[in-house]
Amino acid sequence: MTTAGVGRRARQMSSAPTRGAGRFLAGLRLVRLYAASRRVATCLIVLIACAIALRTALHWLPRTGVYARQIPLTIEAGAAAVIGVTADSPFGEPERVAGRWLPYLRLAAAVALTSAALGLLAAGSASQHLAGGTVGLLRDLAGFTGLAFVTGPVAGGALAWIGPLGYLGITLPALTGHWTMPWLWPARPPQDRGAAICAGLVFAAGLAVVTVRGARAWFR
Amino acid sequence: MTATTAPAAPAARARPPRVTLPGPARLLRLELRRSIMPWLLPLFAVLFWFATYRPAMDNPPFWNVRSGIVQSHTMLAFAPLLAGAAAWTGSRERRRGVADLVGVSALPRWAAQLAAWLATTCWAEAVYLAGVAVLYGVTAHQVAWGGPLLWPVAVGAAFVAASCALGFAAGTLLPSRFTAPLAAFVMFLALAGGAFALQANITYAEIWPLNVQGAFPADAYGIFYPYLPDLPIAQLMFLGGLAVAALGGLGLPTAAGGRSLRIAAAAVTATGLAAAGTAVALAGTARLEPHGIVIPALHDAASDRPTPYTPVCAHTAIPICLHPAHRLLLPDVTAAFGPVLSQIAGLPGAPVRVTEVAVTSVHAEPSNGIALGGPALGGHPPVLYLPLAGMTLPGQGTAFSITENLRQQDGPWILSLLVGLPGQLGAVTGVNVIPDVAPGHSAQLAVLDGLVRALGLAGPGPQGAGIPGSGTPRGTSTGSPRELAAAQRFAALPAAARHAWLMTHLAALRAGQISVSEIP
Repeated sequence: MTTAGVGRRARQMSSAPTRGAGRFLAGLRLVRLYAASRRVATCLIVLIACAIALRTALHWLPRTGVYARQIPLTIEAGAAAVIGVTADSPFGEPERVAGRWLPYLRLAAAVALTSAALGLLAAGSASQHLAGGTVGLLRDLAGFTGLAFVTGPVAGGALAWIGPLGYLGITLPALTGHWTMPWLWPARPPQDRGAAICAGLVFAAGLAVVTVRGARAWFR
Repeated sequence: MTATTAPAAPAARARPPRVTLPGPARLLRLELRRSIMPWLLPLFAVLFWFATYRPAMDNPPFWNVRSGIVQSHTMLAFAPLLAGAAAWTGSRERRRGVADLVGVSALPRWAAQLAAWLATTCWAEAVYLAGVAVLYGVTAHQVAWGGPLLWPVAVGAAFVAASCALGFAAGTLLPSRFTAPLAAFVMFLALAGGAFALQANITYAEIWPLNVQGAFPADAYGIFYPYLPDLPIAQLMFLGGLAVAALGGLGLPTAAGGRSLRIAAAAVTATGLAAAGTAVALAGTARLEPHGIVIPALHDAASDRPTPYTPVCAHTAIPICLHPAHRLLLPDVTAAFGPVLSQIAGLPGAPVRVTEVAVTSVHAEPSNGIALGGPALGGHPPVLYLPLAGMTLPGQGTAFSITENLRQQDGPWILSLLVGLPGQLGAVTGVNVIPDVAPGHSAQLAVLDGLVRALGLAGPGPQGAGIPGSGTPRGTSTGSPRELAAAQRFAALPAAARHAWLMTHLAALRAGQISVSEIP
């Protein structure tokens, strides 16, 4: 075979249908590699563990009182913290320079993991009494996850957990002290509009920041 | 100008010789500079403000109240984050991919790891103690009596070290990007689990590091008697043991050092576990006493001696004397009990003085509850012992609400004791309900209810509510119409007539020799 033959074969292979399938396969591979580099599978395992922990806790928890709110909130914050650290990139600058699809991958991973956490935790609380209900779960989880996404670009992806877990440390006294600021959304009832707006804004801001900038490794 | 005439260049100023620190100190200094903790200090400052300072300032300026907050609130916010930060530090070598590189250095890995843990702990202790210093400094300017309680601070400091040690061990032994958040998360859950165990009345759970004197209200200990150190000592032993065991565990892997070093690490780990286990076993013997949690093996009899003080007194019909720490309460207590004491002053068996005490009786209740007794009459001449623990205190409500709480809670109780009934009945009668008790006490109950109505101790609502045909009913009347009518009749008497009748008939009433029909 001559070099001309090689060229002809290459042209035949890059015909339109084959090129489309190849792109699709390359896209899938890119998603798989991105997920592997961010330890998405481990994150999902931890989220499943969180759902089991929530179910176990709800079985024993009283239906009212501070503990009925504190324990589910802690589990939601833990799930959000784990989602936050998946944004950390092990490749750093080279990936940011060469990764054309990186913002889309970040957005897709963030939305997919948050949805998975919501679904798993909602499944974990199904047929049990969750103080605040699924609406409260959605609001609190979105807020906590948004904080993790905001913290990633600021402090570094590996430290993204500080946002939700630090906020949880403020929230717990707010539950017992009956503080009513809307930015302390877990202390407000699930139907509270101000709290929902705050949590939603934090989630939107976090999603935007993590999509555009990604989590930077400021501290190693 | 030739070279020979040129002025000589000033000699370079000799630099002072740098102090050469010994090896471990240099390593610690290096770790202190490299630690993540300085970057987290603003977060911890914010957490301290929200979790400790603000709730403390929402409470009245009493050392016992604010010291309890230091131990419970601060550690709930700090410990999980410290565990996470320490785990992040512990997993540093694997994260940076230098584990093999530093593994072949001359310094044993265990020593290097201990230096990294110590640096993290130093920063954490610094921020914790700085926060406590600010809070105690502000409190010192506000309190009327006493000094800061240091046992809760010591338990908090030990918990800081233990959190860092546990997190650091997790980060070193299981390095992963998920280790730090999971360490913090698990610490939150462990603290929640301890609270549950305590609520389930598991005695061993008294060791829970956020537990400050069990179910006692924060204002019930450390004033009349010294703060009992039994439980804090056990907690210190538990937390110290955990920290030592976790740090010893770092020296167990082969890479940590030589054989002798690993044997030493194993011994340290075993010692730590033994200390923690012993502390848990000691906590299992804890029991509730009137002045706090007592662990017999750790109890010092000197702690049972009352703290001397000079009471502050109000000159009412019957003098009211309070502990100087509660000086702020005196106007509210006087306003609350003044009318009651004026009514009963001079009656046979009435108290000649009201003296504040820590508690009159105490016993444990389910779900980590506690039942504190109300006022009690005793001694010759009679003295009314008045406990104020668990009351709404100045700073927790308006002066009016404090006075009303005292009036409605303790006023009927005092009257009940006066007519010879158990104090608890007064509290029931205080809501306009005559309880169904033995017929021999009907007259006492009717007089008690009449006094409660006359003095307006029954809370808001129409007087006479609950009496059939008297208007809007409130509560469930279980008394007979005769008793209720007698109570209403007695309440309608002028104060002087009521007092005169009581002066003559109180002894007979107490003895059960007065019938309902004899009540004017």
